[in-house]
Amino acid sequence: MIDEGRAIFLQIAESIEDAIVDGSLPEESQAPSTNELAAFHRINPATAAKGVNMLVDKGVLYKRRGIGMFVAAGAQEQLRGERRAAFADRFIDPLLAEARALGLDADDLTTLIQRRYTTTAEGTAR
Amino acid sequence: MSRTVNVVRMQLVNRQTYIWVPLLVLAGSLVITLAIYAILITAGVDGPKYGGGAQAPLWYFGVVGIQALTLTFPFSQAMSVTRREFYFGTVLTATLTSAIMGLAFVIGGLIEQATDGWGINGYFFYLPWVWEAGPLGAGFVFFVLALLFFVGGFWGATIYKRFGNLWLTVVLVGLTLLLAGLAWLITQTQSWGGVAEWFVAQGALGLALWTLALIAVLALISWRTLRRAVP
Amino acid sequence: MSPVIEVQNLTKRYHDTVAVDDVSFTIQEDTIYGLLGRNGAGKTTIMSILTAQNFATSGEVRVFGENPYENAHVLSQMCFVRESQKYPDDALPKHAFETARLFFPNWDQEFAERLIADFQLPLKTRIKKLSRGQLSAVGVIIGLAARARITFFDEPYLGLDAVARQIFYDRLLEDYTEHPRTVILSSHLIDEVSNLIERVLVIDRGKIIMDEATDAVRDRAATIVGDTTAVEAFVADREVLHRESLGRVSSVTVLGTLTAAERASLAAKGLDVGPVSLQQLIVRVTQHAAEAADAAATAAPIDEGALR
Repeated sequence: MIDEGRAIFLQIAESIEDAIVDGSLPEESQAPSTNELAAFHRINPATAAKGVNMLVDKGVLYKRRGIGMFVAAGAQEQLRGERRAAFADRFIDPLLAEARALGLDADDLTTLIQRRYTTTAEGTAR
Repeated sequence: MSRTVNVVRMQLVNRQTYIWVPLLVLAGSLVITLAIYAILITAGVDGPKYGGGAQAPLWYFGVVGIQALTLTFPFSQAMSVTRREFYFGTVLTATLTSAIMGLAFVIGGLIEQATDGWGINGYFFYLPWVWEAGPLGAGFVFFVLALLFFVGGFWGATIYKRFGNLWLTVVLVGLTLLLAGLAWLITQTQSWGGVAEWFVAQGALGLALWTLALIAVLALISWRTLRRAVP
Repeated sequence: MSPVIEVQNLTKRYHDTVAVDDVSFTIQEDTIYGLLGRNGAGKTTIMSILTAQNFATSGEVRVFGENPYENAHVLSQMCFVRESQKYPDDALPKHAFETARLFFPNWDQEFAERLIADFQLPLKTRIKKLSRGQLSAVGVIIGLAARARITFFDEPYLGLDAVARQIFYDRLLEDYTEHPRTVILSSHLIDEVSNLIERVLVIDRGKIIMDEATDAVRDRAATIVGDTTAVEAFVADREVLHRESLGRVSSVTVLGTLTAAERASLAAKGLDVGPVSLQQLIVRVTQHAAEAADAAATAAPIDEGALR
């Protein structure tokens, strides 16, 4: 679960953000503690703490004294906004590069996307 | 101070090494000696019989002294014990266990006196020359001998640990040459008579005291060497 | 975070070899360090000097601000677990643990007993009759249960099989989480410990060639794979750690963290970017440093053996 070649604390922060974005970690719910994260991923607790603290600095998590870390109100929207902004760089550009290599043009892509969107929309229970 | 006492407990944690095996070796040597005496009696030897078998555990003590350094010292370093604590704790242990040996020797001798040589006029502990100064003197002599063997083994091992095999050999050969040279000198000046007289005049107790001085010298050299030894 | 160990210009010379060459570093409190390097690089020598078991030729060592030599107050707070530790003749493991209990003020007997069960250590077998793995287990149990404020593990788990090693890492992490202390772990098996250590200290031929936070180093290199011309164009102005090619395809490992823009650019050119594990990075950086040093002297072949 922990990738090589990338700072662990970033991966921890990202995994918490993923859970917030997809709703499995709702706002105002308690985030896993540093020690739980360290034990689960088998990493140094200080590294887990660094990831968590990064999210606190970002305003995504906040601390309730004596209890633990909680997901801030508005965190989900905040993170979704960030990810939308990065979406084009992260997903569209590589998609276009591969499409170019395969000789697919913008229209081919649009048709493919429409078709797949409909299929998955029917398939998912969300 | 209590850490030094803990070194004694560390050394004695395996009671076998310092107490039971030496006593076992002593007992074994006694049994063998008595068996030999029994044979002599059937062969018609009537007079008092004396044997040197009591020296057997002393050699073992020498080995214990060597291993106190070669094995227990590195272990003590792993236990984060300082060299000072290790040294004094080990010397204390050697003193205590040598005293136990001395006590065993005295008890054995007193039994021999009471039973007229185990009923067969055979003596293992009660060697008259050693017992000149009485039971306490005899105990002291055996105590000093046990301590000498331990410290001797320990001293040799410290030289080996700090300076290596080569230098240990050099030192031992050097000492042998020194003694040989001394013997030659005595022969040249025909003073063997004088030397023998002096030994007799000192008696077992006197010689034990001189040996104590030798032990002190070996102990001091061991201490200085240990200070810079690497486990 | 306060420093617990400070080393200044430490040098250790043996006759004609320099085992430790003018080394300086600081160890912070309550942190797990990885002391990494090849066999004979100087790791054990440094740890021995820090615990006053060996002596420096020159330089200064301060533990808790004091000189550790013959300093019972400082030494009793340290524990050095060696690879091949000597034990008294005829001693049993339980004797070793009883002794540890006497000298380590924070010794936790209950913890020791749980570990003895975890490692399945036979308590009544003579230590000199134990298998390599069991012998390592004795050392590891002492190091863990002693809870010394500063604990050094000098590859004591080399005799342990993969399962036992994982038990060691798990117990270390669990106990460290509950009772933080300073731990210095020396290892060849870098990838196994890379998730545990917060800082890496890499030693090669007696010199420190890296002293950084692990996370900072994890993305310090990347492997670019693809058409040789394109790859070479990209790596032209970068430090190359390793180069391999097969036909028209090259795989080049470069030093330097790639930015998001660079990654996008590489993807656009059809080049693959692969991560470089901590072990690979350190192996390559060490080889690279050795090559550079040798080029300055004579051209000598580098043998990769130990770190692979």
